[in-house]
Amino acid sequence: MIDVDVIIKSINKLPPFPDVASRALQILDDPRASVDQVISVIQYDQAVTANVLKLCNSAYYGLRRKVHSLREGLVLLGNAELKSIILASTTVRLFQQENKGYDLAKGELWKHAVATGIISKIISDRVGASEHPSLFTAALLHDIGKVVLNSFVDRYFEQIIALVNEGELSFLEAESKMLGINHAEVGAKTGESWNFPGDIVQAIRLHHSPEEVLDDDPITPIIYLANIITLSMGIGVGRDGLSYRGKQEVLKHYGLKAKDLQEIVVDFYDQYSKVQDILKLS
Amino acid sequence: MDVIVGVADMKVSDDPSVTLVTHSLGSCIGLTVYDPVVKVGGMLHYMLPESQLDSNKARNNPWMFADTGIPILFKSCYKLGAVKGRMIVKVAGGSQVMDSSGVFNIGKRNYAALRKIFWRNNVLIDAEDIGGSVNRTMRLSIATGEVTLKISGQGNKIL
Repeated sequence: MIDVDVIIKSINKLPPFPDVASRALQILDDPRASVDQVISVIQYDQAVTANVLKLCNSAYYGLRRKVHSLREGLVLLGNAELKSIILASTTVRLFQQENKGYDLAKGELWKHAVATGIISKIISDRVGASEHPSLFTAALLHDIGKVVLNSFVDRYFEQIIALVNEGELSFLEAESKMLGINHAEVGAKTGESWNFPGDIVQAIRLHHSPEEVLDDDPITPIIYLANIITLSMGIGVGRDGLSYRGKQEVLKHYGLKAKDLQEIVVDFYDQYSKVQDILKLS
Repeated sequence: MDVIVGVADMKVSDDPSVTLVTHSLGSCIGLTVYDPVVKVGGMLHYMLPESQLDSNKARNNPWMFADTGIPILFKSCYKLGAVKGRMIVKVAGGSQVMDSSGVFNIGKRNYAALRKIFWRNNVLIDAEDIGGSVNRTMRLSIATGEVTLKISGQGNKIL
């Protein structure tokens, strides 16, 4: 078995979290921060600025008027939403890359991320949860660990898939057995090293184990379900396939039944076509 | 030339240069029909078993559901000269996540709906690759009628 430390050290090989974004996030943590302070930091990063504008104007946020400038966007959105958007804007390029280990073509992991984000919102609305500002971003980021684990899964894929095929293990469990760590845990460690907010780190860490926090985490179990539905639909699914556990207790927790799942799929189909702009972020 | 059949979509063709392709068959079902005499084929990628779930949606996009999509696939091929008795029918998809309770098994329900419709209409399945926890890509060559699958974690195979 490979040394887990080698995998964790490889987190440092990812491009550093952009300075602009971490400074903007710091400012946004201060309730007394002014719009001008935030703008003064973000405006110098064109890619982040462009992505913030595109996200503000996407159907997801549903703002009534078109946002033309950073200032307008910042005024219309709350601090928490803005934090989310900045996080998504800065990490999208990692998700857009080809991922050989999981056999995902360029753009596929981002597609999976966006679909999970949309379904999270659909589920949240359906179960009457209030819109949590971290929900969409945590859903977008849930598989960030696959970006890090990519090369290790590539090297040990045959052994991992053999464990899945023989031992009734899920792909996540087989990753743990073969590599000593799985993509959820690696993703959480990546988030920690980039100072992501704690609720997003937790959602990444437990996105396949929501039963641990069913009663006291407002986003992780929803993201879990959204991910399972996205996987079921085969959206941005790699050679790990659908080999993840469907946990009935999470559905029960929200009072959802098989028919609800089908209705969520129908709602998703409608909304997915409206967010092609998010899919094109880079 | 690859012609993509999207999710909740259908395409038929009599152009021998065309290969119909559909990606992302998880719980969804990919259904191909092919008449080797006139070399007419079609592919349907449906998401859900029954249109009664949402009849408005079914009117706008009948390919979303098995019971509204399958009849249109056959009829569209007849219009290009295909004959029911000669049709070669192949099915792929219907997978599901690992779930002993069966609540998440949209894939199984999708396949059951197809079997019910085929049984009522005396249609036999010539080949199928169904279920499991894999993701599939399905291709149908209009020139030869050959159907190939790419299965996640397993590679390619001819169906």
